[in-house]
Parts: sequence; C-alpha cells; structure tokens
Amino acid sequence: MTLNAALFLDHENLVPLIEELGKTLEVVAPVYAEGEPVFATWKGEPLALDADNPLNSPVEFFLPQKEVLFKYVQCSGRYTFQDVPPKSRLILGMRPCDLQAIKVLDEIFGTELPDHPYASKRMSTIIVALNCTSPGERCFCAQMGSGPAAEEGYDLLLTDVGSGYLVESGSPAGMFILRAHSHHFEEALPEHLKEKERLLSLAEEEITNRRPALTPEEIRRAIDETDWGEVEKRCLRCGGCSLVCPVCHCFSVMDRGVPDGERLRCRDSCVMAGFSRMTSGANPRAALGERLRHWYLDKFVYIPEKTGMLGCVGCGRCSSVCLSEIDRWSILREAIE
Amino acid sequence: MNQKSLKKEKRVRSGTLAGKGTDQMLSRYVPLQAEVIDIDVESSNTYLISLRPLDEEDETVRLDYCPGQFLMVSVFGLGECPISIASSPTREPLQICVREAGKITQGIMAARVGDIMGIRGPFGNGFPVDKMKGRNVVITGGGSGFATLRSLINYIADNREDFRDVTVAYGARTPHDLYFTSEYGSWQAAGIEVGITVDMMDASWKGNVGLVTSLLKDINPSPGTAALCGPPMMINAVAKDLVSRGFLEPDIYISLERHMKCGVGKCEHCTVGHYHVCTEGPIFSYDVVGDLL
Repeated sequence: MTLNAALFLDHENLVPLIEELGKTLEVVAPVYAEGEPVFATWKGEPLALDADNPLNSPVEFFLPQKEVLFKYVQCSGRYTFQDVPPKSRLILGMRPCDLQAIKVLDEIFGTELPDHPYASKRMSTIIVALNCTSPGERCFCAQMGSGPAAEEGYDLLLTDVGSGYLVESGSPAGMFILRAHSHHFEEALPEHLKEKERLLSLAEEEITNRRPALTPEEIRRAIDETDWGEVEKRCLRCGGCSLVCPVCHCFSVMDRGVPDGERLRCRDSCVMAGFSRMTSGANPRAALGERLRHWYLDKFVYIPEKTGMLGCVGCGRCSSVCLSEIDRWSILREAIE
Repeated sequence: MNQKSLKKEKRVRSGTLAGKGTDQMLSRYVPLQAEVIDIDVESSNTYLISLRPLDEEDETVRLDYCPGQFLMVSVFGLGECPISIASSPTREPLQICVREAGKITQGIMAARVGDIMGIRGPFGNGFPVDKMKGRNVVITGGGSGFATLRSLINYIADNREDFRDVTVAYGARTPHDLYFTSEYGSWQAAGIEVGITVDMMDASWKGNVGLVTSLLKDINPSPGTAALCGPPMMINAVAKDLVSRGFLEPDIYISLERHMKCGVGKCEHCTVGHYHVCTEGPIFSYDVVGDLL
C-alpha cells in the first residue's frame, strides 16, 4: 500500500475507525439533536453524514461562540495569567465550503499578528472532510469556487460513492492515520474513483443550475445598486446571519470575575446596532442599511483585497437562518436584474 | 466567479500555520502588567496617569512607541479599552490621559498609586514624525483628542531643531476642560506657537473664544504638515480650512477614534471601509479618510 493511494472504506467500518481515533482525540461530528444535524462532540450516537451540512459550522471549534482567552489570578497586588491549552480534536464530516472558510480565516487569524487561541486549536485538529455529493437547497458553493469537491486543506477526505467511502489523504497526518489503521481499509478500485468524479460533477451541475453565477464585477455593481433602505425594512436585526457564517469572525471581549477571573471572547456581529458605537454614543455605522451593506462589502470586496479569497463560501447558512427569509444571493441578483 | 481565478490575480501569502513563532502568539491577548506610579488631575473628569510597565520579575520594561500610538488598557474584571499614549517617547514615564466615559475608564480612574492595570501594545501606526521633519507643522485638536497630540508636541519640543515653524491650536469646551495647562509655557519656550481657545468662557478667562480655525492665522503651508485629532465635525472644518490655505490633503494627518476590542486587526469593530483603524491607523491622511469622516 503506497501512502498517498486512494483507499476504500466500507460504510460499516467508519464507526470502528473513529472509535479507534477517538481514544486519543476528541471527535467532533455531525449528529442529530432534536432531529436536526449539528456539529457536536461525538459520543457514539448515530452520525448525520447523510443529512444537510449542519447550521453550526465546524469552524466553531476553532473560533467558538464563547471562549476563554486567558485566566487572571491576583496575588498580593500582582497578577498571573494562565493560557487555556487547546484540546486535540478530530473533526469528521467537514464540507468543502467550511474547509474554504478555514483557509480564509487562516489568512486573517494566522499570518500577520497571529491569533493564538485560533492558531493553537487549528494546529491541534485533524480534519476528515466529506465531499458534497448531495448539496443542500441553499448551497451556492460552486458559484463561489469552494465546492462541492474539496481540493486541499484536509488531512483525510471522504467521498460517499454509494457502496462505501473513497478515502484520500491530504497531509502527513492523514497518511499516518491511513497507515496506522490500515486494517479498516481496502484498495480503492478505478470504478470508485470514476464514481466520485461522476457524483461530484452531478452535484456541481445541480448547484449551478439552481442559481446562476455572478461575476465579481456584477456583485460589486449589485452591492452599489441594492436599495439597502428596503433590505433594512425586512431585516429583524437578529445578527443570526453573521453568527452562523463560517467566515464571519467579529468578536467582542469581556471580563468575568474579580479579583480572579477570566477574559472571554464571544462572537459578535457587525449587523448589530452597537457594534461600532463608541462610549461617547457616536456611531460611525448608525443605520442598519449601512451595516448590511458593510457586511456584503466585507465578504465580496474587503476580504478578497486582503486575502485574495472571497469572504463568502456559498454555504447558504445566512439564508437558512434568516427569520425574515432574506435570501442573500437573490438580493444581489435582483439588484442587477 | 471562482476562488482560484481570484487567487491568481492577488498576491497570496502562504497560509500555513505550522512553524510560526508560537511564543509570540502566546502573548497576543495577555497583557503586560503596569503599576500606577502617579496620578495628575487634568480636569474634573480627566486624569493623567503615569505607568511603570513590569516584566515577570517586577522590573521596569521600557516600551518602544511613537507619538500617535495607543495602548489597550485593562482593568481586570471590567475589561479592556483603547487609550492614546499621552507621553512622548523622549520622556519618562509612560503616561495615558483618561477621561471618564464608560465603566472601564471609570475603573481606570478609580486606580490608586501602586495599583496594577494591564496594558497591551503599543498599537497603531503613529504620526509619521520622520515625514514631518524639515517642515512647518500645525497641530490642531479639540477635547480629549488633545492627549495624543501632546505626545507629538513634546516629541517635537525635544527634537525642536528637526522641525521648522510649529503651531499648536487647541480648543476645549470651557476653560476647565483644557488639558496640560502647566505645559504651554514650556512649549512656547521651545519655540512652539501655542494658541488656545474655548467655546464658552467664564469670569476668569481672558483668552480666545471661538473655533480653533480662528487661531490658524500665520501658518505656512509650503512645506507644511498638519496633525489633527478631535471631534469629527471639528476635524472636518479644520482640514477644509487647511486645504483652503494651501495644505495638501496627503500632508494632513488625522487620528481617528473607533470602538476596539482586540487592537490587532481581528475583531473588526474599528473598520472604516476596508481599513482597520487599529493596525492601519489610527493616523490616516485626509486624502484617504476625508470622505469617510
């Protein structure tokens, strides 16, 4: 068996494999909670790999909704600080869109002035990705160039080819897992590889047929031409779109505890009224329409300028979560039609 | 639209995280401790606080900063907020000027000599002092924005021969709201033109009343550089006035105030258009942020 060969994993062998890996790592996987798929710590319950991509992105395990940045302890007037060490994790079932989101976040959180809480979790996590052979209703990853097939950024990549999973490794850690647990795998056959290509091109066709693509110029024009005052009337200001977005990374910082305690950071949203408001009361983006416009500009103009990658990965979560059923993609289409 | 085609057009930094300086990362959000060594009352609601940054052995750490930079200042249990450095790097000690505004500033002002607060930084770009050398400099501010300008004024006073004519024009609401009143004499002694004005006078006031622009009479725009900090309305008026007197927009530097949580360009609270005020600012030239003010 060569290390980078594609292998085949019988459906029935997946759980025994992750049980073995779970002995040394915390396994995060899509499971069912009240019938809905969610990414959560796996405790042996049925996996939700066939369901739609969960509403909570696995990016939450790198940038949690709430986390401790450090703990402070006071002793005779001076403080000592304690870091929170990251857990060693394996994330199973991460989709190509979320993989792309992590690639964007790596640029923002990992390069200039690295963000230690993010980077340390990133470095201690194994990613077992899952190609999207049955895309969800809201998905537009193909239009954003982030799916439905993953190309890089994973340690292992699974593709459900009907009879089992085609497994490919994308890193030395992935190769190591394949070798150390080789008893679960078989050699992949040429028809498995062919089936992978067939299923993924079908999936891509399904996604692109559902929503016509827009060029970067069209998106820019659409942002300029959208009547944000009208969108503002429909928006309920809940901030849900940015809290579920795998690329959104706005956060707030606060302390809890005197004299000893912890400094926390919590996900925040630039759509919220108080996001840019200063103590004086002055608010540079006071109107909701302005904030919604900024949200789009950040994704389609500012993040691409900074990272060379789009700030939207087409996962469709923002539209799924919207209480007012504002479809983010349709807004842009309508503006230029 | 495709990620791959976009990547080709743009310079892409290598995004791998392994092998980066982990030690450096550990300290990003963990502050340095700083002991309060002196507290001066500048006005009824404003204190000038002198700090001694400490290392783990309780020894003094010298902070390397330039005028216009800021610190993230923590009161443990209340939180952290951005505060301009009010001292000049040419002088000890490190000082911050804090006006009572919210719960964190109230916490900072409640500190007594000997107390510990947290500091991170210095952050931001600071004023381009090297570009100002050999030129006439106009420094104009209002309100609490004058704290960051005091750092620049004292820096210039200590390197006076590097600069040509230097004019300070400072406005406050009332005579009681003027900061650093004990230092105007030393600035004048260093050959700096100092003009002070207030919006509302009281019985004791014998100086100017009105807008700061009224103080800018004999200023020479060629070659001229300006440094501004204050309320947006005032900044806009002063910048327009300076342009009308022949100052070039790229030579007018403005210090922006924004809500901030991280200081390192991650939390997104301080964005102005695509700029992060914390890392790409807080000092911007007027041609860059003029229409964003």
